[in-house]
Amino acid sequence: MAPPLPPGLTPSEVGFLCEMEHVTVIPRQTLDGLELLGGPTGALKPPFPTPLPLWLALLLKKQRRANITPPPWLSVEALTQILDFETDERTAELFSPSPNLPPATTSAPLGDAATARAQADALPYHWLEIGHLLITHAADDFDDLDAVRKLLRDLREVRMSKLRKGFEVLDAGGGVKMNGVGGMEIAEVRGFVGGVVDGLRRLNRSREESRKERETEERENGLGSSSYRDDEDEDML
Amino acid sequence: MEFNASPSRASTLFKIRVRSGQGMDDDIADILASVSAPPISQRTLDLQALTRAWVAERTAPELLPYPTELVERVMERLGKQISNIEDMTGPMDPQANFTLVILQTELERYKFLVRSFLRARIAKVDAYPHHYLTLPETLSPLERQYLASHQALLSNHYSTSFLSAFPTNLQKLDDTAGGISMVDKPDEDTAVFCRVLRDAGKVEIQGPSQVSEAELTRGDVWVMRWSTVKEAVRRGDVELI
Repeated sequence: MAPPLPPGLTPSEVGFLCEMEHVTVIPRQTLDGLELLGGPTGALKPPFPTPLPLWLALLLKKQRRANITPPPWLSVEALTQILDFETDERTAELFSPSPNLPPATTSAPLGDAATARAQADALPYHWLEIGHLLITHAADDFDDLDAVRKLLRDLREVRMSKLRKGFEVLDAGGGVKMNGVGGMEIAEVRGFVGGVVDGLRRLNRSREESRKERETEERENGLGSSSYRDDEDEDML
Repeated sequence: MEFNASPSRASTLFKIRVRSGQGMDDDIADILASVSAPPISQRTLDLQALTRAWVAERTAPELLPYPTELVERVMERLGKQISNIEDMTGPMDPQANFTLVILQTELERYKFLVRSFLRARIAKVDAYPHHYLTLPETLSPLERQYLASHQALLSNHYSTSFLSAFPTNLQKLDDTAGGISMVDKPDEDTAVFCRVLRDAGKVEIQGPSQVSEAELTRGDVWVMRWSTVKEAVRRGDVELI
């Protein structure tokens, strides 16, 4: 009855999630504001740009009722800058920073990450999915489509190779910080990273349990006295 | 703030951005934003909460507490929207037709969210039934009903097939005698990816040979054991991604 999916979102679910992000749309036809289940949508009056959820924007685009404005970080200049940052040797350990978080009450989705007011020098969490969807369906809204596609591909390769290099520090305890990583990238490596951390944990389980026992004994009996007392008991037997 | 292309300036600018984003400036920005931001409709907040609950339920290894009021509000709204759409499906003029398409698409997306959320929970309940029999408060009333009748059917089936042929003291399915419990618990130490929403202080990371500490600052993305971040997720300081 329930599908036995492994824990964690599949890539298609990450795609579903990214379609809830807002993008800026330039309507070609008027449409009244709708009262959707997810909240009210602004009325569409050409030529004023309006923020709409991505799934709705793609629907309108397919029916040729609107054009989608690519967010500022999805242009040739911005992507080139970010790619330079990523390929610089001094940032070999880091990913390019994610945009500043919205105030603590909101979180992705439904943030501003892909509208025209987004930050132009940071890749938002769903950069790969949103970039791919916009290139596929809103091709005529870009100035230089091939360059953007090539840059997205290069960025993806650089970041994936950085992620793979980071596998070397994976430890049984977890605790690896990776700020700036994207949603689809996490979905790709989740199986592997989770498997490695869990596997290492299983292999080291006996070592960890004995260490914990030692620590609790030390806390209860004072340092260094426990092993001595054990030997004495054995002698008495 | 300009992001200059030359690498040395870029890395210093990155450091400056990271440093200036913390501390007092953050608090002031938060206060300003909460005062001047337009009020977000309850529906949007509910959608966000449902999405977060869905992602958390799909990612976490054990069952999280059931969000009763959220699901009740959502189901009520869904029911109203469905009857709304049925009313609108009467007269068919082009403008209203397109609005109908939009409403139906959104309804399908919403239903997928709710269904996937419930399926994730049922999958966990099916995996560890005897464990969740002892924790009825994390389940909704329907889930409790499902668990009870499912287990009754299964144990009936087992007894009639082969369990009645066992010696009497080996017939229990949730035997806890002998030091080892037959009841499987979900693995609380699986690795999860999480993002820190609010500064949450330090947590202890249990390694195989030593215990290390990590500071949870806002905006960090970590790979950690579920047991380490469970409390922070309950408080809402950390979300699963």
